[in-house]
Amino acid sequence: MSDRKKILIVLFFVFIIFPLCVSSAKGVLSDEAKVCLTCHSHTGMSKTLENKEVLSLYVDKEEFAKSAHNSIDCNGCHTGYLAAHLAKKKQIKSIKEYSVNASQVCSMCHPDDQLKKIPIHSSVMTKAACVECHGSHNIKKMAEWKKGINETQYCLTCHRHDLSMTLSSGEALFLSINESVYKSSVHGSLLCSSCHTDFSTTKHPVRTFKNKREYSALVTKSCSMCHSDEQLRKSPVHSSLLAKASCVECHGSHSIKGIAAQKAAAPETQYCLSCHKGKLSMSFKSGESVSVFVDELSLRSSVHGKLRCTECHTEFSKSKHPVKVFKDRRDYSITTSDICGRCHSDAYTKYKGSIHLSLLKSGNLKAPACTDCHGFHSVSKAGNDLGLASCNKCHSDMKNSYEASVHNRARIQGKKDAPVCSSCHNAHNIESTRMTTKIKEGCFKCHKDMGKVHDKWLKNPPITLSTFAEAHFDVVSCAACHSPNAKRRIYLSLSDCKTGKPLTEEEVIKILNIDAAGLMGKIDINSDGSVDGKEVWNIFWLLLNKGVRTTFMGKMDVSNATEAHQLGTKVEATRDCEKCHQPNSPYFENVFVAISKADGKTTLLPAKKGVLNSIYSIIPIRKFYAIGGTNISLFDILFYVALIGGIAVPIGHITLRIVFSPIKSLRRMGKGGKK
Amino acid sequence: MKKIYLHPLPIRIWHWVNAGGFIFLILTGAQIRGIIKLFSSVETAVEIHSWLGFILLANYCIWLFYYFLTVKIKIYIPPLHHPVEFAKKALRQAKFYGFGIMVGDQNPHHSTPDNKFNPMQQVSYLMIMALLIPVQIITGLFLWDPKLFSPIVTPVGIQIVSAVHVFLWIFFSAFIIVHFYLATLGHTTWAHIIAMFTGYEEEHEEGHGHGEEHGHSH
Repeated sequence: MSDRKKILIVLFFVFIIFPLCVSSAKGVLSDEAKVCLTCHSHTGMSKTLENKEVLSLYVDKEEFAKSAHNSIDCNGCHTGYLAAHLAKKKQIKSIKEYSVNASQVCSMCHPDDQLKKIPIHSSVMTKAACVECHGSHNIKKMAEWKKGINETQYCLTCHRHDLSMTLSSGEALFLSINESVYKSSVHGSLLCSSCHTDFSTTKHPVRTFKNKREYSALVTKSCSMCHSDEQLRKSPVHSSLLAKASCVECHGSHSIKGIAAQKAAAPETQYCLSCHKGKLSMSFKSGESVSVFVDELSLRSSVHGKLRCTECHTEFSKSKHPVKVFKDRRDYSITTSDICGRCHSDAYTKYKGSIHLSLLKSGNLKAPACTDCHGFHSVSKAGNDLGLASCNKCHSDMKNSYEASVHNRARIQGKKDAPVCSSCHNAHNIESTRMTTKIKEGCFKCHKDMGKVHDKWLKNPPITLSTFAEAHFDVVSCAACHSPNAKRRIYLSLSDCKTGKPLTEEEVIKILNIDAAGLMGKIDINSDGSVDGKEVWNIFWLLLNKGVRTTFMGKMDVSNATEAHQLGTKVEATRDCEKCHQPNSPYFENVFVAISKADGKTTLLPAKKGVLNSIYSIIPIRKFYAIGGTNISLFDILFYVALIGGIAVPIGHITLRIVFSPIKSLRRMGKGGKK
Repeated sequence: MKKIYLHPLPIRIWHWVNAGGFIFLILTGAQIRGIIKLFSSVETAVEIHSWLGFILLANYCIWLFYYFLTVKIKIYIPPLHHPVEFAKKALRQAKFYGFGIMVGDQNPHHSTPDNKFNPMQQVSYLMIMALLIPVQIITGLFLWDPKLFSPIVTPVGIQIVSAVHVFLWIFFSAFIIVHFYLATLGHTTWAHIIAMFTGYEEEHEEGHGHGEEHGHSH
């Protein structure tokens, strides 16, 4: 539009339209306002902002005429707007931006210093624009306005807006109230000051709180004005919760429905979450506590997201909430695991036989129950990452060695079957690795037909059978050969022949009718700190006399768990028979007697170097044999004695023949003479 | 001097295969136990030991079939229906080995194809062939592949199996020396040994010679 046209339009308004409007305008409005209202008194007048919000440009002429600012020219507040009409239309991003800009004009007459004298202004001024609380063209004098409005509306004038205050803890406390929700709540007919007793249309103290908890505690006091403790404690849950949580954490604040209505309206999960979305915790007799907060988002995105709460927590419902009492966190963990077992019976049955549950039952607080690995409500689909993350919580000392292993290298390369912890140790039926050969089953899950693979070199002619290699697998752990720099040890675990399982320390104590301290005395008779062949025989004999047939099951393994995870590549593996199968093999120097405990742990007693070679060990260690390593030394002596005896017989006989040869000659001569 | 055909060809073959096998089994056994180092490695010793074990197993079967099929097995069976007479003969034989042989007594036993062994040989060879060698073969098989024979090896205990095998190895080591010495006690030092190659034992006409180990082969 050319400047000439713009000037013609302005002249048209000033000289033709303006006189017409002036003649029709009423009251005390200024002439300029009357001109503006020519257009802005039309209700449909609006402007679509950049964010697509619609800003109404309508001004109620009647209200404006009655307002405190009725005598002020429009241009007095909307400075430069007449010019703006002539220029390019002003671009406004949002109503908020417009409100803030429009409010800046207020300070021309109402300077900040003046406004900040009122404490509440001081804090609100940074949050809200003037017009958001006071309105724009309908502003009345405060005293007059307060007279004509009820308290709730007065409060909502500000609090319907997006107000919040920042607490000392940094938390944001939202102060906005949804009017319609409040009106429909059970407290909708109450005045604000019924609960917020410190506030009224004339009082608005400025308060500070350390955190939401402190604020909630204060608000709870307001509740108790009507809802007495005595009344609330009639419900057992309330009774236990009252010490833990504030009313508003469960019931909300301005949206409180009647309990009956809340139960009827809310789906079960939502009903439960009305309390459990709060930071609730429960205490145990031991004084420990555990959070019973449920993160709704995590719950919804978990594999159990579609389940109702009562499908797991069967003792609870909208109408039932028994108060559960647990001795301690461990007791709670075990009980929680029982819940999982109802659906996941396979996994739970396996878990019941695991070292983890044994440890848990023996009082080891660190031993995991289902939830320690899988989480409570955020249970995700079990995958490799779950294993690594949850196992590392306790077994972080294995992390480095695993990460250096060929297995982890394969995992990093993205190989689909690359093993993680559970691939070898299983996820649920985890046993003590020292007392079992089952760990190999984990290896064999991926490394199939290992008998055939090993019998390419681990063979015994003339017939090549995979059983020969398998015989080695029974007593040699995979890591003993495949962990290149490991130190090998021999573990002799005392086992019950009848059950085929390790005999626990507790069982031995019971069989021998001794105390725990006495057991060591029965094993290490001479108290020299190590077990020799005679002592191995002694414990075997003692148990046999009590009717229990035992044997020390031998196993070659690495010296510690770290070495067990440092698995190298195939070419790094030990393949030399002679490393094991010679009497002086270092692999057989470090021998330990292993006695398991009921909790799955193992007591290791060092054994003397020659324990495997003692004549006393033949029967007690009868199921462990390795060429060279378990040679019975006495047999070598017997061999030499037999050789000497075998040679001595001819020598002795020949000697006697020589000694008696004259007699023989005489007799021959005699016979010859006769002839 | 007349010749008696005492050792048929199958028995001679069996004997020398057995003898060679025994010697090498004893030696490889010694290396497996780490007493000597004859072959390059334990692995080689084990391989030889295993091969020879199976060869001697087959050889034992040849012996068993031959003696059973020809019913000659009876030469191993002591006449237990005449125990007193047998005991007297055994005592006489022991006296001969212990003293008579030194002063030029005649061997009380004269070998024939149907009565090859003297009473002492009969008892000892029966024990060896019917008990000790089978036990040695079976325990050897168990140790060769304990997993394959696990239904027996596991309950018994492999170390006990090994102890029996090693004990018999010790016995056979001594036995083979004594056996060789006794083989030199024919009417000449090499008479019995040559007979085990040719099959013919020379019977000394003059009082049936001085052979003490007539028919020493079993």
